[in-house]
Amino acid sequence: MAMWAKRIVHLNENFVAISRRDRVFLNNPVVMNGVGLAPLVIAATTGLNALMLSVAVLLMITPTRVLSALVCRWVRFRALVYCLSAAVVYIGAYYCMQAWFSVEVTYLGMYLPLLVVEPIVIRRYEQPAPEKISSALKKGLLNTAGYVLVILLVGMLRELLAQGALFGQPLFDGSILPLSQLAAGGFIVVGVLCAVWRGAVNLVKKRVNMEAKKYQ
Amino acid sequence: MNIVVQTISTFFLYAVGAVFAQNAVFSRSLGVSRLVKMVGEASSDNLLFCGLLCLVQVISAPLAWMANRWILTPLSFRAAVRPLVLVLCSAAALGIVIVVCSALRRPSTSRVAQLLPMATFNCAVIGCLLVTTIQNFTLVQTLGFAVGSGAGYTLAVLAVTEGQRKLQARAVPAVFRGLPVTLLYIGILALAIYGFTGHTAAF
Repeated sequence: MAMWAKRIVHLNENFVAISRRDRVFLNNPVVMNGVGLAPLVIAATTGLNALMLSVAVLLMITPTRVLSALVCRWVRFRALVYCLSAAVVYIGAYYCMQAWFSVEVTYLGMYLPLLVVEPIVIRRYEQPAPEKISSALKKGLLNTAGYVLVILLVGMLRELLAQGALFGQPLFDGSILPLSQLAAGGFIVVGVLCAVWRGAVNLVKKRVNMEAKKYQ
Repeated sequence: MNIVVQTISTFFLYAVGAVFAQNAVFSRSLGVSRLVKMVGEASSDNLLFCGLLCLVQVISAPLAWMANRWILTPLSFRAAVRPLVLVLCSAAALGIVIVVCSALRRPSTSRVAQLLPMATFNCAVIGCLLVTTIQNFTLVQTLGFAVGSGAGYTLAVLAVTEGQRKLQARAVPAVFRGLPVTLLYIGILALAIYGFTGHTAAF
C-alpha cells in the first residue's frame, strides 16, 4: 500500500514530465498534436488497411529517424536529410509491403508513398537541436507505438460503423454510419476519437491528483 | 487557334477541379496536419506559408512531369523510387525559390527561410506531384492541377481560420476545444464540398 501511495504521489508531482515522455496514451502524437492525419482520414477505412498502414509505419518511422540522426551529424540542411532518408527507407519498406500483402497494398493508394513527407515521420527536423541516435531510436519506437494504436483503432471503428464488420468478418447486418467511409466521415470519426481520448486523459489526471491528495 | 483554346480550357478545367472537386484538404486530406497546427497558432504568417507552398508547387510540378516522363516511366521499379524522385524535384524547386528570394533581398527573407522547408516538404506538395505522376497527366494538366491545388489549399486554410473564431466559443465543450472541433469542422466542410460536386452520402 505504501508503495502504491509513493507511486501515485510521484506520478502526480511529475505528471507533466511523464506525460511529455509518454507517446502512447498521455501525449499521443495524433490525439494531442494532430500529426499523421492524412493516411488516418483517407486510407484507414478498414481493419486490413489499418493493419497495412501500421506495418508501413512500423517499417518507416524509427529507421528514418535513426538514419537522419546519423546523417545530420555531417549535413546541415536537415529538412532535406529527413525527407531523403524517409524516401530511401521507403524503397525497402515498399518491397516488404509487396511481399507481405501483395495486391492489397494498392488499397492504400498514394497514402503509402506519402508517408515519406508525413509530419509524424519527418517532423523532428523542425527542432533546432540535432538528435542523438539512442534518443532517435527510443522516440521513434514510442511514436510508432502511439500512431499504430490510433491507426488500428480508427480503421476498425470505421469498418465497424460503415460495414458492420471487423477485418472482413461480418458482425451484424446493415451499417450504423456509412458516411464514416468517406473523407468527411474520417475527419468526424478522428475528431470524436480525439475528444474522447482527451477526456480520458483529463479524467486520469484528475484521478491521480485526487488519489495523491489522500496520501499526502 | 483551336489548340490554344483547348490548352487554356484544359488548364482551367484541371485548376478548378483541383480547387473544388479534388480539394487537397477536403477530399484528399493533404497537408491537414500542418493546417491544424497553423490555425491553432493563429499566426499572421499563414498567407505567406500558403504563398510559398503555391510557388514551390507550381515550380516543382513541371520538374516532376519531366522526371516522370524521362526517368520514372522507363523504370520497372518506378513505384519504389517515385517518392525519392519527387522529393528531389521539390528540393530543386526549393533551391529556385531560395535563389529568387535572396536576389530580391526583402525584409521578410529570414521568415521565408524559416517557412520554406515546411512549405516544400509538405503532404500537399508531394501529394499533388504524386497525383499528377501516377495518373500520367500531360504538362498542361499538371500545371493546371498544381495551380488549382495550391489555390485550393489556401482556400481551405482561409475557411478553417475564419471558422476558428466561432470554434473558440464557450458553448463548445472543453474536451472538444482545439484539435477535435477543428477536425469536426473540416469534416463538415468536406461533406459540403462532397455534396457540392454532385454526390449524395448515405447516412
